[in-house]
Amino acid sequence: MKKSIFSAFLLCALCACSSSDKTEDMTMPEISADGSDVCPVDCQRFKRGSVIAFHYQFSDNVELGGYNIEVHNNFDHHTHSTSAAECEIESEKKPVNPWVYNSDYEIPQEQQTYTATINIDIPADIDPGDYHFMVRLTDQAGWQQLKSMAIKIEE
Amino acid sequence: MTHFLAVAAVLCAMTDTVIDIDEVTVSDHAVRAAQTHTSLTAIQVSRDYLQQNFSGSLMQSLQGIPGVKAMSIGSGQSKPTIRGLGFNRMVVAEDGIKHEGQQWGDDHGLEIDQFAVDRIEVIKGPAALLYGSDAIGGVICLYTNHIPTDSVSGAVQVFGRSNNGQLGASAKIGLRRNSFFFRANITAINYGDYKIPADSIQYYSYYIKLKDSRLRNTAGLERDGSLMVGYAGYNFHTDLRVSDSYSKSGFFANAHGLEVRLSDIDYDRSTRDIDLPHQWVNHLKVLSHSSWRNDVVSVDASLAYQQNRREECSEPVSHGYMPTPSDEMERHFDKSTYTANIGLKMSLGQHSLSGGANAEYQHNRRSGWGFIIPDFETGSLGAYLLDKYKPSDNLKLNAGLRFDHAQTHIHSYNDWYKTPVGTDSVYKQRSADIDLTFSNLTWSVGAVYSAGAWLMKANVGKSFRIPIPKELGADGINYHIFRYERGNAELAPEVSYQLDLSVYRSGKLLSVQVEPYVNYFPNYIYLNPTAQYEEGLQLYHYTQAEVLRYGIECQADYKITRHFEAELKGEYLYAEQLSGAKKGYTLPFSTPRSADAGLKYSHKRHGEGSIGLNVHLVGKQENIVPPEKPTDGYWTLNLTANHRFRLTGSSINVSLRADNLLNKRYYDHTSYYRLIDVPEAGRNFAVMVGWEF
Repeated sequence: MKKSIFSAFLLCALCACSSSDKTEDMTMPEISADGSDVCPVDCQRFKRGSVIAFHYQFSDNVELGGYNIEVHNNFDHHTHSTSAAECEIESEKKPVNPWVYNSDYEIPQEQQTYTATINIDIPADIDPGDYHFMVRLTDQAGWQQLKSMAIKIEE
Repeated sequence: MTHFLAVAAVLCAMTDTVIDIDEVTVSDHAVRAAQTHTSLTAIQVSRDYLQQNFSGSLMQSLQGIPGVKAMSIGSGQSKPTIRGLGFNRMVVAEDGIKHEGQQWGDDHGLEIDQFAVDRIEVIKGPAALLYGSDAIGGVICLYTNHIPTDSVSGAVQVFGRSNNGQLGASAKIGLRRNSFFFRANITAINYGDYKIPADSIQYYSYYIKLKDSRLRNTAGLERDGSLMVGYAGYNFHTDLRVSDSYSKSGFFANAHGLEVRLSDIDYDRSTRDIDLPHQWVNHLKVLSHSSWRNDVVSVDASLAYQQNRREECSEPVSHGYMPTPSDEMERHFDKSTYTANIGLKMSLGQHSLSGGANAEYQHNRRSGWGFIIPDFETGSLGAYLLDKYKPSDNLKLNAGLRFDHAQTHIHSYNDWYKTPVGTDSVYKQRSADIDLTFSNLTWSVGAVYSAGAWLMKANVGKSFRIPIPKELGADGINYHIFRYERGNAELAPEVSYQLDLSVYRSGKLLSVQVEPYVNYFPNYIYLNPTAQYEEGLQLYHYTQAEVLRYGIECQADYKITRHFEAELKGEYLYAEQLSGAKKGYTLPFSTPRSADAGLKYSHKRHGEGSIGLNVHLVGKQENIVPPEKPTDGYWTLNLTANHRFRLTGSSINVSLRADNLLNKRYYDHTSYYRLIDVPEAGRNFAVMVGWEF
């Protein structure tokens, strides 16, 4: 009797430790802010009608997936910042013709590192003010990395 | 792992101790009878158990049952899971009728008055035969239809919780005149923001500072009421029950869904008010049940109507190309469900034959500026036949077959705002007009064998689930979880095969139960995170993958002396996707292994009472799938104390439960708030005083 119960619990214990060595990708991709030509960075200022020369280095342990760049206004002082930096911020206001930029990009297949360089035109007629610049990056396994920068668009 | 070895070791040591006791009530005929009525793993939960383990929501009170978990959503609500399967992969039934709300949603609880529940049966394993679609993981059968035996009986309960300042009261009355009876229940609960053992939350490097360690805007309230009238004759029984359950609760103000937000609302002015964002749910249920029986035949018929209205309100904010909406109503759902069940049972010597049919019609309408599921209507029809054969006193065999047919009509939906496409701008379609039909044949075979103190069960069964409209038809951004979700109209009904074994040994001193299972899905419906972006967010696509799951639950109770009883429990679950894009990964929200060790002292002075101390150990969960994060293991110390004072013709019950006595900071891998790094609730004392007459 004692033996059988002990065996039952031993079975439990065996089940619990039978974790096989996994080879699945468990690592998120990286968005690196290293280098002197990284753009945009937190609190960076841009003029309307000019260009944001987006430049970031992506890397993954297995294979990169795709990325997305999104810009939206922060006139209501909401936040999804991923950086601790506090920039000088204008007072709240109602958007009239805010800039909305949202573009999905592909990364060529089988890349472990990739330098994304995109020239983003800032329309000349948009509301100036505080904006959020978001970068989203995936790897082929479906892991996602986010990076958000607070930028300012000036007249 | 170490927990289980500890369990084994402690148990070994315990069985070496031999103590004589003259008063044993371990082997209970009623319990045994209930265990043998099904070859599935089933656990009976009494009203006393619910009272003694009262810890907030009904599902939280049931968490002590190995294999049952509550996915908590704030402090007042939670969703059940059985062996890691929740949402539409398990069924909650009230008096035999499937409870139909918005089960797919991950942010609201169960709309049932926990104080109206008389008893619960938890079936772990495939129960498709009687319940049709969804009963893959199991069924939580709630019974609220106990017939009063005294001419007047009732109870009044008041209760409170320290962590969220919860205050509540519930009253019930039962009347009986000859064969006629009447029952009424009323419950009111209010609670404030709950406390966690942390003064800030760190999410994506963003620090959310908390005032007095409280999660802003997680206060809520609940109001329930029910009435029942019936006739209970010798051969004929009929009853009608009307119940309504309303709850309103806030969502954590700093993160609606996964988005960190700042607001002008002064959330910190009160810990008890419900600001935006919040939700409310109202569930109305009308249930009629009639039966007629003689010594050979019994016939049962049930009719039910359920209306589930649910609304989420939040501050209107523009998102992507969506301009700022004009009002706060983000989502509103109005779902009506009509159910009809008929069943026939017949005794033919050693055979007991039962058959029946279920019909159900669901009608779901949405409104509000946030789209997540389309409008739909679903009609389904099922019929089953089950034979129970008793070749000897020790052995019971059963075999059953069921056929289901369902039709779903999904409505098209277009955005209310325009999205630029090339040089044009369009009202994008988020759901197409689709008509689908599904058919499924399910079966189950099982055996129950009892010999002396031993009871053994084996069951093999197939169960299924009809894909829900969100899985079939969604095509748009889920702002709640910040991802783009694309449905798949090609999905086949999800099928599951499961083998369950249960071994029970009930002795004078020692009772043991061991419940292993193996579960295989040829086509588990899985929302796969892809590498692709769609309209600015990561695309999640509904796919089907082969999945293998297995696990075990063990429990041992040992009566050390007349007053002291020790309990050990443990559970383990493993899941792996065997095909598809996430081959080799587990399933989302995988339950980590856990173990419990408890010691209880009971006495019979001035009535009867007990004090119990419990250590709850949970292992680390590293078996994850994108976008999850590994969750560390933890342990908590918990205490329960109960006393029943007997008065003439009535009794007074006092129960105290203290959870997380050491105020440990830990994360629950299966919690909704885990995704935004919110730890679980801190130390909590729950007190309940009840007077029963």
